[in-house]
Amino acid sequence: MLAMTVLYDPECGLCRRAHEWLAEQSKLVELKFVPCESDEARRRFPQLNHDLTKKDLTVVADDGSVYFGPKAWLMVLWALTRYRDWSYRLAQPELLPTTKRVVSMISQHRYQITRMAGLR
Amino acid sequence: MTIGITTYIVYLVVSSAFTIWVGRTIYKNGRVFLIDVFHGNETLADSVNHLLVCGFYLISFGYVSLALTLGYEVTTAQEGMEALSIKVGMVLLVLGAMHFFNLLLFSRMRRRATDRHNGPPIEPDSFTHVQQEA
Repeated sequence: MLAMTVLYDPECGLCRRAHEWLAEQSKLVELKFVPCESDEARRRFPQLNHDLTKKDLTVVADDGSVYFGPKAWLMVLWALTRYRDWSYRLAQPELLPTTKRVVSMISQHRYQITRMAGLR
Repeated sequence: MTIGITTYIVYLVVSSAFTIWVGRTIYKNGRVFLIDVFHGNETLADSVNHLLVCGFYLISFGYVSLALTLGYEVTTAQEGMEALSIKVGMVLLVLGAMHFFNLLLFSRMRRRATDRHNGPPIEPDSFTHVQQEA
């Protein structure tokens, strides 16, 4: 795997801030950011369920593997030079349920978090 | 030469001998680890190894030097032995701690390096067709 496409929610300040942070990190796998439900997303992945990508972060690898929600977050960590070991740690069977719960909670409340943190 | 001075000299000789022994052990055996971490780049491995051992010697000899002063008079051979056992024991514990810290560093570096070539941490949810860019 050489590249992954990250389908993010362009209307969420937290996601945009995360995107800026990610852009600066050194990567082992190239990350391409495409707003979810955009024309480009539909053109690149014609068979993907695009209604679903609006609900949570989605990552599509160049081999067509689709990672949704918490799995997508883990894949993004895996792509980063400094945090790859964390992706393995958080994906361990003992930690994975907690990882999923925390990530889902952040995802579901992303607009509230954005407002509370004063991100625009 | 008083018993006090003898105690100091024995302390210095024993502590230095242990420090050098541990340093050489780390240097010799750490090299194999580092060559693996740097994918066979021996020059880089040797360089990092040397820098690590340098730090180890500085900290260890620094401790040996700081812990030299006894603070009380040693008049009999028995007192000298007792003082020595405490001082050398402390040096050995510090060396042990330094040694495990070094091992931790090596294993962390190695894990980072092997992680680099490992696949995704999880299975994908599904597969989709990817339209190739024109």
